[in-house]
Amino acid sequence: MTSSAGTGRAGGPRLAAPPRRDRYAFQNAAIALGLAAVVFAAITGVRVGNSGVGFSDVLQILWSKLTSNPPTDRAQLQAHNIIWELRVPRVALAVLGGAALAVAGVLFQGLLRNPLVSPYTLGIAPAAAFGASIAIVLFGGSVHGGPAPLVVGALFFAFLNTALVLTLASARNLNPTTLILVGIALSQLFGALTACIQYFAEDEVLAAIVRWTWGSVNNSAWYQVLVLLALVVAVFPYVRLRSGVINAIAFAGDDPAKSLGVPVSRVRLECIAIAATLTAVTIAFTGIIGFVGLVAPHIARLVVGANHRFLIPFSAITGALLLIVADSLGRLVIAPGVIPVGIIDALVGAPIFLYLIITRQKAVE
Amino acid sequence: MTLSISSLVVGYGKKTIIRQASLDVARGEVVGLLGSNGAGKSTLIKAIAGINRHGAGSISWEGRTDLSSLPRRELAKIVAYVPQSIGLSFSLDIREAVLLGRTPYFGAHPREEDWRHVEEAMRLVGLEELGERAVTELSGGQGQRVLIARALAQDPQVLLLDEPTSALDIRYQWQTLNVLRKIARERNVAVIVSIHDLNQAARFTDRVVFLHQGEVLAAGRPAEVYSPELIRKVYGVEVELAHHRGFVQVHPLEEEAPESFAPVEAIPFPLRPAPAAATARFAQTSYA
Repeated sequence: MTSSAGTGRAGGPRLAAPPRRDRYAFQNAAIALGLAAVVFAAITGVRVGNSGVGFSDVLQILWSKLTSNPPTDRAQLQAHNIIWELRVPRVALAVLGGAALAVAGVLFQGLLRNPLVSPYTLGIAPAAAFGASIAIVLFGGSVHGGPAPLVVGALFFAFLNTALVLTLASARNLNPTTLILVGIALSQLFGALTACIQYFAEDEVLAAIVRWTWGSVNNSAWYQVLVLLALVVAVFPYVRLRSGVINAIAFAGDDPAKSLGVPVSRVRLECIAIAATLTAVTIAFTGIIGFVGLVAPHIARLVVGANHRFLIPFSAITGALLLIVADSLGRLVIAPGVIPVGIIDALVGAPIFLYLIITRQKAVE
Repeated sequence: MTLSISSLVVGYGKKTIIRQASLDVARGEVVGLLGSNGAGKSTLIKAIAGINRHGAGSISWEGRTDLSSLPRRELAKIVAYVPQSIGLSFSLDIREAVLLGRTPYFGAHPREEDWRHVEEAMRLVGLEELGERAVTELSGGQGQRVLIARALAQDPQVLLLDEPTSALDIRYQWQTLNVLRKIARERNVAVIVSIHDLNQAARFTDRVVFLHQGEVLAAGRPAEVYSPELIRKVYGVEVELAHHRGFVQVHPLEEEAPESFAPVEAIPFPLRPAPAAATARFAQTSYA
């Protein structure tokens, strides 16, 4: 008998009354509110700066762009350029980068069944830093998105690292412990190689490498926004569609998940490749923005629970919010100077995380 | 017979764990899988569940379907597996944990039908009142029931349990084994449960299968199969058998523990005499 065990077979269960339909009402409301908060924070973030552009200016310029109706007078044109060429890409990169790193964090934590891992656990960040360092040494010290060699160098080594981790761990069926250990080994390797470059580098190059590792959206560009947007739009719906099998691996474990019909190794390979791509592309554009990929999933888990169907979108929202807020604060605190988002991100996120841990201890456990 | 395992060979790499094992299990029957540690009980169960692919032999269902040829998802609609422990890395409420059993049936969005199966599975194992509690807050016995409910939510026709009572106290062991009998009878499910306690196997299973070094050594009703010779061969211990209320019972023949487990001779605790001043104070307090 190859057919599925239907409800009508002999000796089958008598089915009880269905549960409430609004079981996930809270999670759906949280996602809707979160999206609204991201839009509000993004518009506020575009407004933050020293050029005296007001909230209404931002809305007016965005509207004029949407309706293909460019401004005519000089003052408006200047405001338009500041907002459209500098601030919107900056905020958009923060939104997309935060969302991408957070979703990568959720995937890594769930698929490796470990709440302590982050998008960088498999060594992607040190590998990208090594690639960026080589690019800086070879092509000069301009950092963060400007020159293509820097992005290409970071991206190439991030992908090389991911391919190495997945190939080496395949010998043991992509076992989570093996993946983490191989990741740690490659992190150390690329970290040491970068340290070698730093040790022998001149001061200017050394400073450029260190600045890159701080992580920033200062030099964001529209092409970066579009690349990351295309990636996010392509990947997020697919990942959410896989939330059922990700739940099975994360909460049941490998063997029970297999017995639930999940091709564990294939799903793990697929989703880790996706998470690694999200991480690699983001940090190739922004440098290493730590913390958000580790903490955004935890914050989201405390709000909407651990079911990946809701955790994935809400983590994306949380990551986006964390980076918008961090970037806006970074532009305000020592204005007109700017503190890189990677630094502020940890300074903002850590207290929020600590507050949630202390007030909602059970959910964390 | 409904589940028929014939000349099954399972191994890891070059090491063969299960050698030419054959057994049959009927619908509504509870079969106990017995054997010492390392006999191959878990390996056999995982092979039937499709977790480990087997080498030679066959696993057929109702004489027609070769289970090992089914896609994993289709197999999961027939065979459900209950691991030894729940082992959660993240907190999840019970209802969501049981819903995992419906993974073979839906993609990202559970349907009303899936929720109905979840509620029914929870009712069967007595978890309906605890649905919103986090799995991490449960006792070992309750956690085991969640795992069984998850397997029941799969709506299986074969239920496999790998030492489900090993970490439970006697009350929860009895509860779990009673639930298994009830499931087998009420839902007409073939149940295979690996278990260490020979007396509980005799009390709660319909038939037992003794595995020894990967081979089926004996199979049948406990009262007919149990013998001091068989148990000596499988476990290396001397026992005598008794019968109580129609069930066979196993008692150790040697009253004393084996020599290697004998307690060491008591070591005198190096008592230090109390200081004279303290003794004097005590004397004053007591007799003043």
